[in-house]
Amino acid sequence: MAAVAAVAALAVVASACGGGSSKGGPAPTNGGPATTKGVADGSVTSATPVAGGSLTYGIEADTSGGFCLYKAQLAIGGIQVARAVYDTLTMPGGDGKIHPYLAKSVTGSANNTVWTIKLRPGIKFHDGSPLDAQTVKDNLDHYRKDNLLFVFVFKQINSVDVVDPLTVKVTTSVPWSAFPWFLWSSSRLGIMAEAQMKSPDCNTKLIGTGPFQFVSWKFGDKFVAKKNPNYWFKDPKTGAQLPYLDQITFVPKEDGAKRTTSLEAGDYQMIHTSDALQTVQIRKDIAAGKLKDTESDKFPELGYVMLNVTKAPFNNLAARQAFAYAVDRDEYNKLRNGGILQNASGPFGPGVDGHLDDAGLPTFSPTKAKEAAAKYKQQTGKDLSFTLDHTADPSTTQDAVVVQQMLQQNAGIKVQLNAVPDQSTLINIAIGRQFDATLWRNQPGADDDTQYVWWHCGNSPAPTADPNGAPPCDNPVNFGGFNDPVISSDLDKARSSNSPAARTKLYEAINKRFASQLWNLWSQYTLWTVAYKPSVHGVLGPQLPDGGAPFEGLPTGHPVDGLWCDNGKC
Amino acid sequence: MLESADTELEASAATAAVEDLPDEVFEERKIGVLAWIGIGWLVFVVLIAVLAPVLPLKSPMVGDYAHPQAGLFSAGHILGSDDSGRDVLSRVIWGARSSLLIAVGSVAFGTLIGGFLGLVAGFKGRATDSILTSIFNILLAFPQLILALTLVSVLAPVKTSGAASSGEWAHRISVVIIAIGIVSVPLLGRITRASAISWSQREFVMAARAQGATNRRVMLREVLPNVMPAMLSIALLGVAIVLVLEGALSVFGVSIQEPDPSWGNMIYSQLSNLNSAPAVWIVPSVMIFVSVLALNYLGDVVRARFDVRESAL
Amino acid sequence: MRVIVRRLAQLLVVLVVVTFFTSILTALLPGDPVTTIAPFSSAEDRATIRNQLNLNENIVVRYGKWLGHFVTGDMGREYAGTGVRGQSISARIHDSLPRSLILMLYVQLLTLLIAVPLGVYTAYRAGSRVDDLSNGVAFFLLSIPVYVTATLMLLFLSVQHHLLPSEGWVALASDPVSHFKHLAMPVLAITVGQVAVYARLLRSDMVATLQEDYILMAKSKGISDRRVLWRHALRPSSLTLLTVAGINVGQLVGGALIVEVIFHLNGLGFAISDAINRRQYIALQDYIAVIAIVYVLVNFAVDALYRVLDPRIRGARIG
Repeated sequence: MAAVAAVAALAVVASACGGGSSKGGPAPTNGGPATTKGVADGSVTSATPVAGGSLTYGIEADTSGGFCLYKAQLAIGGIQVARAVYDTLTMPGGDGKIHPYLAKSVTGSANNTVWTIKLRPGIKFHDGSPLDAQTVKDNLDHYRKDNLLFVFVFKQINSVDVVDPLTVKVTTSVPWSAFPWFLWSSSRLGIMAEAQMKSPDCNTKLIGTGPFQFVSWKFGDKFVAKKNPNYWFKDPKTGAQLPYLDQITFVPKEDGAKRTTSLEAGDYQMIHTSDALQTVQIRKDIAAGKLKDTESDKFPELGYVMLNVTKAPFNNLAARQAFAYAVDRDEYNKLRNGGILQNASGPFGPGVDGHLDDAGLPTFSPTKAKEAAAKYKQQTGKDLSFTLDHTADPSTTQDAVVVQQMLQQNAGIKVQLNAVPDQSTLINIAIGRQFDATLWRNQPGADDDTQYVWWHCGNSPAPTADPNGAPPCDNPVNFGGFNDPVISSDLDKARSSNSPAARTKLYEAINKRFASQLWNLWSQYTLWTVAYKPSVHGVLGPQLPDGGAPFEGLPTGHPVDGLWCDNGKC
Repeated sequence: MLESADTELEASAATAAVEDLPDEVFEERKIGVLAWIGIGWLVFVVLIAVLAPVLPLKSPMVGDYAHPQAGLFSAGHILGSDDSGRDVLSRVIWGARSSLLIAVGSVAFGTLIGGFLGLVAGFKGRATDSILTSIFNILLAFPQLILALTLVSVLAPVKTSGAASSGEWAHRISVVIIAIGIVSVPLLGRITRASAISWSQREFVMAARAQGATNRRVMLREVLPNVMPAMLSIALLGVAIVLVLEGALSVFGVSIQEPDPSWGNMIYSQLSNLNSAPAVWIVPSVMIFVSVLALNYLGDVVRARFDVRESAL
Repeated sequence: MRVIVRRLAQLLVVLVVVTFFTSILTALLPGDPVTTIAPFSSAEDRATIRNQLNLNENIVVRYGKWLGHFVTGDMGREYAGTGVRGQSISARIHDSLPRSLILMLYVQLLTLLIAVPLGVYTAYRAGSRVDDLSNGVAFFLLSIPVYVTATLMLLFLSVQHHLLPSEGWVALASDPVSHFKHLAMPVLAITVGQVAVYARLLRSDMVATLQEDYILMAKSKGISDRRVLWRHALRPSSLTLLTVAGINVGQLVGGALIVEVIFHLNGLGFAISDAINRRQYIALQDYIAVIAIVYVLVNFAVDALYRVLDPRIRGARIG
């Protein structure tokens, strides 16, 4: 969707299936413009990287709570900034598997309940303090105690212990096969220095081990970081000291079209966007030789309509079906995304474990939509009608308008639109479950276990119970409140399973369950685009420390240590 | 208390403008062709707004998905279509209802309340004047856009869930009218006050008072009719400003809610397509422009009708 | 001396009422500020935040606490949650107020520079074709919303011709040329919408002044039209314009929000809207108070200017 209520602010954890074979996307919509399949990286070149240069990066939004990571709510813009200053213990690779990064190794015991994290020796934070086991333990303890969301993510950690100065042991209450993915947590689990964690300026004075050192940050204005000359990581292929750039400046600009404008004008050298219409514009500039970009639909997140199923009308399956049947997703995609996105077949994108080309989602049918609406009226005695919340920016507003029209025309469902001024208001409404339906974006692809936090309920009834009568989910970030016993129990089973095949089956079952219960109405997988001046290279970053290829998903940002510019000038 | 910083000045400026009225004040003035065209246009816009439901128009809400972003003079969409294929002609006519209601309504609100307060302040003077002027100044010390935004969100708390209700449009309109109205009160109040002060000093007012007429009678019968023309011409400029301002409220989601059109939200909704589909913002902009210009000529006519000096030129 | 005391008293009254009104408005805004500040905080944290923000107190007490800090020069910090310090509000004001003031100054200067000659000339030639034409152009520019003007300028001047930077702020002291290049479009975008209003106000008053006896007399004495217009008629005609320009100062300092956002200027307008969005009430009250001070001070200056401009006002007291 174009600039969907960009609430990736909440996408705390994402991880890709261990299976990791990327299948590539389904065929593009007939006759439409080309759909990207996999990753198309215009920043790859055979030339040798040159050090030097200062790059300005236009990002989607600034991070209001600051960068004390265990207190922060990082959206994509914040993640991108954090990746410049902090490193994570692990990092996914191009093979779809998780690799050690700041850690030298992360190994599980035979039953995956004890995880041993070994650190690389000699790594120093920007303030000169060493990266040791105690610091890592303190970081992890903060994460699992000081943030409601991470408290939930890490509730199955029993203890974090220092074994020796470079070894940390994590003990979990259940077998947890995808645990190393959570040490990455969509690049949100950066490791901070003790000095930062102890400071009352933890949110504004950043001290990490990352490729760039914090220089200054003015909220809403810009974030400046300069090269860390003592960065621990060297390009595994060439041995060159990273990073290449002397300085990187992040400038928040929420209006996607204006971000593109500033790139075209030359004031930014790089931007990111998930607005398909902006990607269309960028492709025109590329054809004219003005820009280059890196596009990836690998490990995508997805746009969807999130439904509040704890109250009328969407506590009723017929109401959800009427909605689903009434939306012509192909037409929607054409109108609102320039036809370049793929319709989502389920929450798991192409290449992600549990992905099915056909999970049994309802296909567009005005007849069935009207039948379902009539059934709703018969069951409840009321006409199906509700409020759809969306952010007030013009692009998202038009998304909502098209959904509204389709429901009215195809099924006679009356929709009231409610424009909220900004994302934080929308999050407020979501947390309070004060909505009927809202445009949303989340679930970046990674190991599916990372979706646990969004969907699992602790108060699920027996798997045989009718989920439509279940009490609202006790998990506050399951915003829609669906309490599906099958999904909860399958998530538990998959978390503890050691068998890739068994996990795939479980996630496929979850996928199908969503399709039949319609807890959310999936729209399209997002296509993330990083666009830049043609002189910029190295977007996906160097190889990983263990020689693995870099990760190809963009919903959680990309490394900045490998960025370089022709002749050292950006 | 706060005395208006500029009481004396406004007053004397207004006085300067009205001294020595010749007798032929109410002589018929010539009205130019342009003014007639302007008046004709306003009548036309009001007519199409009123008649929108019976005019043979496409639905302003339903998109023609096969023809999004149609240009001007396309078949089926004579004034083009927006990015979900909604007919611009139809939306601009339906949008006239919201835009005109808000612009005229809020300025009427501001003129009635601000005008009344300004009249009282200017006529009574002393403590009444001090207090009212202080209120005007306090309201003026707020950034108006911020005040309007906050007022709308306070007066119409977002209804984030629930079934669609048919009264939503009318509710929105009235809230926006009140919010912009409140914002315009101090401006119109101060201008009226200045004019009222100068008229209250004139001989015929003094004479009426000396003859024992009640304050109310003097104020309404003697002062008000003379203050009216100035108020009216400022109010007309105000209507023009609000027509444009309404669109700015769309930026914050506090004006007319989509899919209901207003000229302002039609322009704003297409902000990312300024290049690719210019018809969608040009058409409502032209509507605003011509209406603003017409109002301006109407203001001239009012002045020419009542203000001797200009007509004598 | 008495005048100064009276003025100070006025300033205080405006300040107190405006900020108290702000605090009432913010209390009425829908949504729980705690959820906005710390969406995923624990119940315990929420209670702490509530306490620290004085949200449990009634509005008068909360306001009193703010006022107490403000009058002692303590603007406070943004609220960032438990255990951490928010960004300093006075630092942000220090940063954004000069930007807003400079933007306002340039806009006012440019608007007056265009509107005054335009107003004078159209008054002089009232009813002529030039009058009609310039009215038409001015009202055309008034009719296009500022975000459209700004976006079109960006597309044409920045993207297509690379003449001006698309965004950002450069301080005058650090690089004057770059400073003006960065501000050219924002200033122009606001100015074009204002010229019509200013010129129109001046024209009306000027038309009236030109009918004054002393002007007619000056003309009959054979003084050139130009001299009559600029030396004799302009000054007494500029009072309404000056009043509106004075009012507009407050509006431009705090209300240039749309342009500030489009061009990434980070002035006070953006700071205010940001404070509302993030429910930073203390910051919001500080900002509004600062704007009120600027507004009141500027209007004192305007008041003094009146006396210079129109001799008839000197010593006169009406009402």
